[in-house]
Amino acid sequence: MTAHWPYHEDEFEDGEDGAGTMVRPYTITHGRTAPERDDLTLITVLTTADDPRDAHGAAVRPGRLQPEHRLILERCRRPAAVAEVSAGLDLPVSVTKILLADLVASGLLIARAPLSVARASGGARMSVLAAVRDGLRRL
Amino acid sequence: MTTSQAAPTAVKILIAGGFGVGKTTLVGAVSEVAPLRTEELLTQASVGVDDLAGVGQKDTTTVALDFGRITVSPELVVYLFGTPGQERFWFMWNDLVNGALGGVVIADTRRLETSFASIDFYESRDIPFVVAINCFHGHNTRTADEIRAALDLDPHVPLLVGDVRQRPFGRDVLLALVDHLMSLPVAAG
Repeated sequence: MTAHWPYHEDEFEDGEDGAGTMVRPYTITHGRTAPERDDLTLITVLTTADDPRDAHGAAVRPGRLQPEHRLILERCRRPAAVAEVSAGLDLPVSVTKILLADLVASGLLIARAPLSVARASGGARMSVLAAVRDGLRRL
Repeated sequence: MTTSQAAPTAVKILIAGGFGVGKTTLVGAVSEVAPLRTEELLTQASVGVDDLAGVGQKDTTTVALDFGRITVSPELVVYLFGTPGQERFWFMWNDLVNGALGGVVIADTRRLETSFASIDFYESRDIPFVVAINCFHGHNTRTADEIRAALDLDPHVPLLVGDVRQRPFGRDVLLALVDHLMSLPVAAG
């Protein structure tokens, strides 16, 4: 594994285990190995919410976020795909997805699913391909 | 900065080929950013299983992949993923291959056999692809027909020969893939 986040004891409820600068990948997620939602893909695009609201319409105030969560919110002010966030944090994709799902669940981050490109989707698929072709021609 | 930009949607294209054949080079030639690297933790137990609790470190493999992006419009971004060199990892990494628009196989005429696995992989997953013969090492003594025969390519699969370090060639390879995708019949159902 490559280096991950330095361990900050005060950020963890159980500050007993692991005091080095190298941590096992799922330490950052408090041992969780699966995200709250399973629909995040490598190219799901994430954007930090301007004015996050909860299900009752009340403003969401970021509470006890980990440093990694804050870095994600900073990064995603410009839309970024899961793979880009993962690369930027130098964290494995699976760990990154858990952190992203936390923020999506709390309304602080908005996820946009990839375009469906199944061959069955016909006309929509052709318009996507035409857009890709036009963009490539400008390279 | 207080306002977020409208989010584009994304599609992806896979770039496959044997080790050292030029996957990341091609990504870098056409990407608007220097290739980025990300990694994933894969375990045999992770295939179809979400809960990895209790899986020891020694059972986990870290697989890296390099990727780049091309913003084709404010609404649409194409991500190019160089696939890990060892194809057995692809089968463990559904997220990498699911939903791909199509793929590229980069091959080197001096060792065409290293691209067999990539071709088999795309065919087994029904992912349309094109073949790019990379000549950046210099001479290519084989004709396109000879290469087609050696790779046992279907006649309709586009094959291009060029230097993957050159953006125009990378662009042409991707355009050939898009044209190929547009020429395919829409699957029933």
